[in-house]
Amino acid sequence: MKSANEDREGLVPGSSNMLPEEKIKDAGSSSDYVIRDVSPCPEDWENADLKPGQETPKKKLCGYLYKCSPKASIRTWKSRWFSYDENKCHLLYYRTAQDINPLGSIEISIASFDLKVGADEGIFEIRTPIKDFILKAINKQAMMYWLQQLQLKRWEFCNNQAKGFVEAVSSFPSIDEAQWSNTEAEHDFLPLVKTPTDDVVGIKAASLPAPSTSIALQNISLKHPWIEIQNTVHNLCGSRQNRRDSSGNFVGNQDNLENIADEEHLRGETEDTVMAEMQKDTKMRLKPPTLRKFKKANSSFRYFVEGAEQEKIASLQHQVLILTEEVKSQKELVKLLHKALEAAQQEKRESCKYLVTATEEDRLELLRHKVRQIAELNKQVQVLEMEKKELEQEVALKEEHIKELREHVQILMDKNQAKQQVILKLTEQLTREMHDPVTEADSITAETLYKQQEEIEHLKDDLEAYKTQNQFLNSEVHQVTKIWSTVAQREKTLLMKCAHLQAHNCQIESKYLMFLRTLQSLPDLAKEHMALVKGLIEEALQWDMKEETVIPIQLSPVNQYDDYGFMTVPEYEAADWKLLSKIQALEIKCSNLNKETTEKSLSERWNNLGELTPSSELKSLLRCGVPMAHRQRVWKWIISHRVKQMRSAGHYHNLLKKCEVAEHPASQQIELDLHRTLPNNRHFMSPTSQFIPKLRRVLLAFSWQNPTIGYCQGLNRLAAIALLILEEEEEAFWCLVHITKNLMPQDYYSNTLIGSQVDQRVFKDILSEKLPRLTAHLEQLQIDLSLVTFNWFLVVFVDSLVSDLLFRVWDAFLYEGAKVIFRYALAIFKYNEEAILKIQDNLEFYQYLRFFTKTICDGRKLMSIAFSDMNPFPMKLLQNRRGVHRLEVEAELRELEQLKAQYVREQAEHAASHLDGAASEDEEEI
Amino acid sequence: MMAIRELKVCLLGDTGVGKSSIVCRFVQDHFDHNISPTIGASFMTKTVPCGNELHKFLIWDTAGQERFHSLAPMYYRGSAAAVIVYDITKQDSFHTLKKWVKELKEHGPENIVMAIAGNKCDLSDIREVPMKDAKEYAESIGAIVVETSAKNAINVEELFQAISRQIPPLETYENGDSGTIKLGKQTAQTTRKCC
Repeated sequence: MKSANEDREGLVPGSSNMLPEEKIKDAGSSSDYVIRDVSPCPEDWENADLKPGQETPKKKLCGYLYKCSPKASIRTWKSRWFSYDENKCHLLYYRTAQDINPLGSIEISIASFDLKVGADEGIFEIRTPIKDFILKAINKQAMMYWLQQLQLKRWEFCNNQAKGFVEAVSSFPSIDEAQWSNTEAEHDFLPLVKTPTDDVVGIKAASLPAPSTSIALQNISLKHPWIEIQNTVHNLCGSRQNRRDSSGNFVGNQDNLENIADEEHLRGETEDTVMAEMQKDTKMRLKPPTLRKFKKANSSFRYFVEGAEQEKIASLQHQVLILTEEVKSQKELVKLLHKALEAAQQEKRESCKYLVTATEEDRLELLRHKVRQIAELNKQVQVLEMEKKELEQEVALKEEHIKELREHVQILMDKNQAKQQVILKLTEQLTREMHDPVTEADSITAETLYKQQEEIEHLKDDLEAYKTQNQFLNSEVHQVTKIWSTVAQREKTLLMKCAHLQAHNCQIESKYLMFLRTLQSLPDLAKEHMALVKGLIEEALQWDMKEETVIPIQLSPVNQYDDYGFMTVPEYEAADWKLLSKIQALEIKCSNLNKETTEKSLSERWNNLGELTPSSELKSLLRCGVPMAHRQRVWKWIISHRVKQMRSAGHYHNLLKKCEVAEHPASQQIELDLHRTLPNNRHFMSPTSQFIPKLRRVLLAFSWQNPTIGYCQGLNRLAAIALLILEEEEEAFWCLVHITKNLMPQDYYSNTLIGSQVDQRVFKDILSEKLPRLTAHLEQLQIDLSLVTFNWFLVVFVDSLVSDLLFRVWDAFLYEGAKVIFRYALAIFKYNEEAILKIQDNLEFYQYLRFFTKTICDGRKLMSIAFSDMNPFPMKLLQNRRGVHRLEVEAELRELEQLKAQYVREQAEHAASHLDGAASEDEEEI
Repeated sequence: MMAIRELKVCLLGDTGVGKSSIVCRFVQDHFDHNISPTIGASFMTKTVPCGNELHKFLIWDTAGQERFHSLAPMYYRGSAAAVIVYDITKQDSFHTLKKWVKELKEHGPENIVMAIAGNKCDLSDIREVPMKDAKEYAESIGAIVVETSAKNAINVEELFQAISRQIPPLETYENGDSGTIKLGKQTAQTTRKCC
C-alpha cells in the first residue's frame, strides 16, 4: 500500500490539489517560486504593458469585472480584465491583465449605462447601439465607481470632441461656452463614489490574480480562440523574466481540458521544457488543431497509467483483506486443535494412569470412582435443567407482564392523543374567540409579527436598492441629456456652417453664370471665345444633374421643388432664359440659406408668442413673414378672427349640398380651370391630385356663397394657395370669403372688375408720387404698367413672386388688407428701379416684365422697402383716390354701354334693310 | 439687312379655347396641357421673315373669361391683326367668336386683319362646329380662316404666315393711320383713349 502511494507522488512531484489561482494566492506564505515575478510595482505595469507612453499620472480606469455571456441560455459569468482607452473612448476587455490583445471593446462615447434593481449585487449594463453588455462588479461600491467613472470618461470624451470642434469653427459664436464646463449639477443626482480601496479596480488590481471561477473552462473566451492563443504566446515570449509565471499562466490559459496533475507536471519542468512548450506553441500557431490533439492524447495517456495504478492498489487491498480473514480462521482452528490436543493429552494421562495401576482392584476402584463421578455429573445436569425450566417459566411470566405493560402504554397514549385533540379544539376555540374585533391587535401572534418584520426589512432593502437605482438613472439621464445637447449643438453649428458654405457656393455659382451671360452678350467676341463661353454655359446648366447623382439630395444645390411644392427653377423654354432662371434659382437658394441662419431669432419669437391677439407686435411679426411651422395656425387664426360674424357651423356643407342639387352657371368655367391651376406646383400638377376635388368644392361653394362674383378666373389661384397652407377645404373657403369680403374693395372680382380697374389707376397715381423718376421713364417708353400689374392685384402676386416671397406677402395681406399689395407692387418697382431705368426700348421692357418679379429673392430687402421706404402711406389717401377713380371708371363704363347700345340699334336698323343677320344681335354685352 | 416691322397682334376668344397654347406653340414650339389661365394679358414676341421684310410679331394674349372683356380694348387697340380663336368642339366658343368680331368692328382699329382659328382640330371626332360654318362666316366678314391644333402643331405657323401676307406692304401704309407699327417706337397712339 505504501509503495503505491509513493508511486503516485513520484509521478506528480510536489502535488497538491489546488487550483492554479489559489496556488498563486498562497504563494506569499509558501515561498513558491511561481510568484516571484508576478507582482511588480504598479508603475512598472503602467510603463511596461498597459499604458505605453502615457504621460499624465491620471488614474487609469481598469480592473476585473465579470462579463455575462449573453448567448447562453443560462447566464455564465466570465472574469475579464477591463481597461479604458482614453484615446478612442473604448472600454477594452482582456481575459487577464497581462494580455496584450483585447477580446473586444465597448464604445463608451455612444453607450448608455443602466442598472437593474432586481439583479444581483454589482450587476450593471452598458448599452451601445451595436451590443448590450451585462457586467458584474465585485460589490456595489465597485459597480457605482465603475458607472460613475465611465460617465465621466464619456463626458470628457464628448466634451473634448466638441471643444475641438468649436475651436475649429470658432467663427460661429452661438455655442454657449458655459455649456462646455462640466457642471457640478450631476453630483446633485449622485454623490461622487469613492474609489474602492481594496484594489478591486485600478492598475494594482492587475497584480491580483483574476477572480477564480469554479471551472477553468468557463473563463476561456470560446469566441476568440485566436486572440487567446496570441495572448498566450505573447505572455510566453514577451517577457523572459516572467517566464515561470507565464508558464503558470500558460497552463491556466491553455490546458483547460487537462487535469491539474498535468499542469503541475508542466510547472515542475525545467526551463528547457518551457522552451519546448514555447516551440510547441509556435507550432500551434501554425497548426492549432493538430497540436491540441497531441495534447489531448498526452493527457489521456497519463490518465491511463494512473488508472492502472489505482486498480492495482484496490486489488491488493482486497487481497490483504482476504488474507487477514484467512489468518483469523486459521488461528481459531489452531485454538480448537489446541483444545483437542489438551483433551487428548488428559485422556492420554488418564489412560496412562489406568495402565500404570497394577491391580485389578485398583482398576475397579478407578472405574467405580469414574462411575460415581458420572452419576454426580448426571445429578448436576438434572439440577441445572430444573433451574433452567424455572428460569424459562420466569421469562414467560416476565414477557406476559411486559405485554400487559405495553397494552397499558397504548391505552395511555390513546388517552393522551384524545386529550391533545381536545386541547387543540379548545385552543382553536379560544383563538377564535380572541379574534373578536375588539381584540384584533392582540390577535397578531408573535409569528406573524416576525414575518412582517422580515418583510419590512426586505422592503427596506428594496427601497435602498431603488434609491440607488433612481439616483444613478437620474444622473445617467442628466449625463445623456447633456451629451445629447452638446451633440445637437454641434450638429446645428455644422448645419449652419454647411448652409453658409452652400450659400456662398450658390452665390459664386450665380456670379459665375452672370459673368458667362455678360460674356455671351458681348458683341465683339472672337469666335473661338464665343464657342468656349457657350460650352461653359452648357456645362453650367448641367451641373444640377451631375451633382444630384453624387451628393445626397439634401445637399443638392437646388431642389426641384420648394417646401410648398413649387418648382424652384421655372421652365423657361428659351435657352437664354434657362441661364437666367438658373441664376435666379441659385440666388433664391442662397438667400434662403442665409435666411436660415439669420432668421433663427424670428422663429424663436414666434415660438414664444403663444396665444394670438391683434397687436402692433403681431402686425410687425406678420410683415416679417411667418415661419412655415406656424403659418397654418396663424392663417387659421386670422381668418377665423375676421369671418367670425359670417361663419356658422354647417354653412359650408349646406353650400356643398346646394352644389349637388343644382348646377351653378359658373361650374363649367370652374371645371375648365381646375387643371390649369398652379401648374408649376407639384400638388396641383397631377390630374389625380387630391387637391383638385377640394379646389372644385371650394370654388363651387363660393360661387353659391357670393352670386355677384360667382366665379372669376384668378379665384382658383387664391383658393389653391389657401388650400396649400390651410389644407382643410372649409378653411380655404372662408379664406376666399375673407379676401373678397374683407380685404378687397367691392366689385373687385365681379362682372365688370370695376374695383380692379379702379385700383390700377390708383396705383398709377401713387407710383408717380413715390417713384417719379421711374414713372417719367415709363411714360417716355409709352408703357402701360397695368398690363402686368392688373394681374398682380387680382391674384395677389400668385404666379408672379417666388413662393417664399409670395407667402410673406400673403401673411401681411391677410392681416392688413389690400394696402399690402400696393406697398409690395411699389416695392417691386423700387427694387428693380435701376435695372428698369437702363431699359431703353418698350419691347425689351415688356419682355423684362414677364419674369422680373421672379428674379427678386431678397425678401428682407423687399419687405423693408415695402414697409418703410414707401411710408407714409395713409389709408385715407388710398380711399380718396379710389373714390375719385371709381367715379371716372363708372362714367367711362356707362359711356361704353351707351356706345354699344347705340351700335346695336344701328346694326339692327342696318340688318332690317339687309337679308343677312350673321351675328346674333339680341345678345347683351356686359 | 432686312427691314424689321413690328406687328402688334392680339388673341381673342372664349376661355379655354387655346389662345395661350397657340401662342406658346408659335413662339416656343412647345405644348403644355395645363397652361395657367391668362389673367389680364401676357406678352410674347416672335420674328418671322416675310418677303423681303422681317415681321416681328408682338403678341398680346388676352384673358378669355367674359368679365375680362372690358380690358380687351387695351390690347386690341393699335393692333395690326387680331386672331380670334374658337374651339371646334364647343359651339359656344364659336358664338363668342362672333361677339368678338362684332366688338372689333365697333371699336377696333379700322383696317385690322382678322384671322379666325378653329383650334383643337386634332379632336375632330367630337367636333361641334362644322368647317363649313366657319368658312362661310369668315368669308362674310373677310377674315382669314384656318383650323389649327396647338397640340399637334397643325397650321399654327401657317396662321401667322397668312396674317403676314395680309398685312399691306409698308410703303402703301406709311401715311395711313392703321394699327401697323413702324420700325421705331411709334406705337399707335390714335386710339389711345378709346375706353
